[in-house]
Amino acid sequence: MPRIVNAWNGVFVLAFAVIFLAVVYPMVTIFRASFVSPETGAWSLENYRAIFLYPFYRRCLENSLFVSAVSTVLSVAIGVPFAFFLSRYEMPGKNIIKTLATLPLILPTFIGAEAWLLLAGRNGLFFNLFQKVGIELPSIYGWKGIVLVFTLQFFPYVFLMVSAALHSIDRTLEEAATNLGAGRLRVFLTVTVPTVTPAILAGALIVFYLSIENFGVPILIGEDFRVLSVQAYNEFISEMGGNPSMAGALSTVLLAVTMGLTILQKYWVERKSYAMSAVQRPEVLRARPVATLLMWLFCAGIVFAALFPFAVVMVSSVTKTSGPVMYYGQFSLENFVKAFTIAPRPIVNSFFLATVSTLVGIVFGLLVSYLLVRRRGKMSYLLDALVMLPLAIAGTVQGIALAATYNTGFIVLTGTWMILALAYFIRKVPFSIKTTSSLLEQIDKSVEEASINLGVPPFRSFLKVVVPTMLPGIVAGAIIMWVTTLAELSSTIVLYYGPWATMTVEIFQRMGSGEFGPASAYATILIVSVLIPLFFLQRVSGKDLTTTL
Amino acid sequence: MRVVLKGISKVFGKLRAVDDVSLEIGDGDFFTLLGPSGCGKTTLLRVIAGFYTPDEGKVIFGDRIVNDVPPHRRETGMVFQNYALFPHLNVRENIAYGLRVRKVGRSEMDARIRDMIRSVRLDGLEKRFPSQLSGGQQQRVALARALVISPQILLMDEPLSNLDAKLRVAMREEIRRIQKLLGITTIYVTHDQEEAMAVSDRIAILNLGRLEQLGSPDEIYFRPCSRFAAEFMGGSNILELRVLSYDEAASTLHAETGGATITLRAPRPAGERAYLSVRPEWVRLVDESGEDVIEGTVESTTFLGALVRYRVTALGGRSITVEVHNPRAGDIRREGAPVRLRFDPERLVILGD
Repeated sequence: MPRIVNAWNGVFVLAFAVIFLAVVYPMVTIFRASFVSPETGAWSLENYRAIFLYPFYRRCLENSLFVSAVSTVLSVAIGVPFAFFLSRYEMPGKNIIKTLATLPLILPTFIGAEAWLLLAGRNGLFFNLFQKVGIELPSIYGWKGIVLVFTLQFFPYVFLMVSAALHSIDRTLEEAATNLGAGRLRVFLTVTVPTVTPAILAGALIVFYLSIENFGVPILIGEDFRVLSVQAYNEFISEMGGNPSMAGALSTVLLAVTMGLTILQKYWVERKSYAMSAVQRPEVLRARPVATLLMWLFCAGIVFAALFPFAVVMVSSVTKTSGPVMYYGQFSLENFVKAFTIAPRPIVNSFFLATVSTLVGIVFGLLVSYLLVRRRGKMSYLLDALVMLPLAIAGTVQGIALAATYNTGFIVLTGTWMILALAYFIRKVPFSIKTTSSLLEQIDKSVEEASINLGVPPFRSFLKVVVPTMLPGIVAGAIIMWVTTLAELSSTIVLYYGPWATMTVEIFQRMGSGEFGPASAYATILIVSVLIPLFFLQRVSGKDLTTTL
Repeated sequence: MRVVLKGISKVFGKLRAVDDVSLEIGDGDFFTLLGPSGCGKTTLLRVIAGFYTPDEGKVIFGDRIVNDVPPHRRETGMVFQNYALFPHLNVRENIAYGLRVRKVGRSEMDARIRDMIRSVRLDGLEKRFPSQLSGGQQQRVALARALVISPQILLMDEPLSNLDAKLRVAMREEIRRIQKLLGITTIYVTHDQEEAMAVSDRIAILNLGRLEQLGSPDEIYFRPCSRFAAEFMGGSNILELRVLSYDEAASTLHAETGGATITLRAPRPAGERAYLSVRPEWVRLVDESGEDVIEGTVESTTFLGALVRYRVTALGGRSITVEVHNPRAGDIRREGAPVRLRFDPERLVILGD
């Protein structure tokens, strides 16, 4: 149908232009900057030499790898048994535990860090309580705190991947092994574990990736324990003579790591999956009461540990405070009154930016998905790879790249709200494209053709038949995009300027200046704004969070 | 409306999916494109619908060349293999879709939908959504949606392939009934020869993108023009013959096949070598021996009730399929039994080399 391709050709060019300006070009800019000597301004490998030779910088890289590795190992150690217990054994409150276990995925990690500071930081609730009885709690600051927060917030990825794998293995597989004479343990070790191994690896890779790209947790709780993302930010933003080329080099190193992980994910893990369709799920077993109790304690305990801190934040928001001192037990709405009356701007900013970038993201995602799914050509592969690129870029790196690129030159965006919207849009668009693509793939092409055959031109057929069919999925995707955008900190912190501070920035800064009460109020508003739409979504679509993430 | 295809070719990369096909389909005909998967039948149908632009050739509706008419302006009604019902619309809205596009007035729309729902027997299901319908019901909705716009041409792409065997037979009779009722030119794609014979006025057999044979079902069945047509339409024993002599007066052919010499009353082959096509039901088991009787041994027996199918080893180890219809109890030949076969001379088909 040559005559209708033209409109889509325009979309094609537009998509390439957007990706080029928002992703490729900024990346090239910092990559180039990383090869410039901060002293002489000439081309040099000085920055890279510094990263790998100077202990100060090399430590950042080592720290990043270290916390990510430890968090990954712990997440697997918790996530695998968690998944196994919940999918194979009967236990009380099973569905509630499952639902609650997915919540940490959507709750902002830096609020998790904030919560642990409120609990176990200097002046923290637990810290003070234990001090009264003469016990000195181990310090939450540094790598232990980072690992704690990462593990509790990221283990659900391992849990979800492994659960899905456990559910997609046909029971006949284990029955066949039993039939061939293998005992229970042998079946578990030789059939069950190997078949879920790809899922474990996939989950581990996600945890490692999220840990190494994270910014909010290490900057809040890490103190002297510096990681790559934090140091790149420091170099870029530092008021005492920022060093953009060093920031560029650190960003490039971080980019290389995240890219490598993404490639590994795409070409190795995705291929190794034993998932079967149309399966008979394995039987759910009833263990002996003591074993059931132990399994329940483990699962419920983990979920409690992951969610309790958020409850503390919410309680803190209605607690009387003065600076970092919290008067627990004395309730006050003062923090909220202040947030809504004196400084409501961050709340409005967050909602506005999330809404704008989500709307643009949906439309763009829909059009690009259509190109990728329905009009596959040679260039689609390139476009496909390019639009997915932001998935492999840490938020901090993305922020630094955009700020460095649109600071000066032919387009100046730094210092406007548009650069924030652009960053959010481009970071969430791969997600939008993934969801809409998979929705589109489920709609047979003949449905559109039927509409065309009945007399509706192609583009209108797309709007009349395809879009409505996808609508529930698009709305679900939009809600996820909206709530995750609302919780974005790592690129925001680089790109915002005064009047365009968001709730996340507000929380971050107030935590930094020891205003725990107001910080908790904003955090609570954020938590509620994230949970309400998700609750609504789950109610309306009956869909689990797990299927949309 | 008359549909004419002139020298249509469609190429995908290196594959000539449709290769120089010319056809003429008369007004009101039920015309079937028949062939195995990959023969180009669906591609040809999509060329007619306008979803593919032919690389060569002309598509003519009536007197008008429609090559440049986009698919949404061709005024054809199409029924897709998977029905392609709009999942977000209910039965009534699915059927109304094409009428809305045509801005048909409210009262006329109601009347047309009502009539159509009645003729495809969907009464009472108007408010159901496609996911709440059985396969057969979905099929009827698809048909109604295509027909309600009163298209000049109805296109059907393997519409029955997703239904179970019993429903298929019922639906094809239904489709034929409605088609006759409306007198609409219909182009039907299928790989099922029995279905094709049951519904069609005329059939085009396609093979590897080319038109193999064109004719009415009985013409093709009784006079296949090629080995492919004979085997695809109804199944056949194909024997390769070397002509030894031909007795013009007695119309008797002496030929060699598989090392054995056979004598047959048959038409004269064109050349030295020929293929003999014998349909399984044209072979009879006989008791007496004779010049044109072939001796063999039963290799397997399949009893199917109304008929018995034997595989008989004869003619130097060749396997010949024999079907005895309406068998009598006690007259079933067991495996290993010697049998005598005679081909029905009236019906033998000699195919060129």
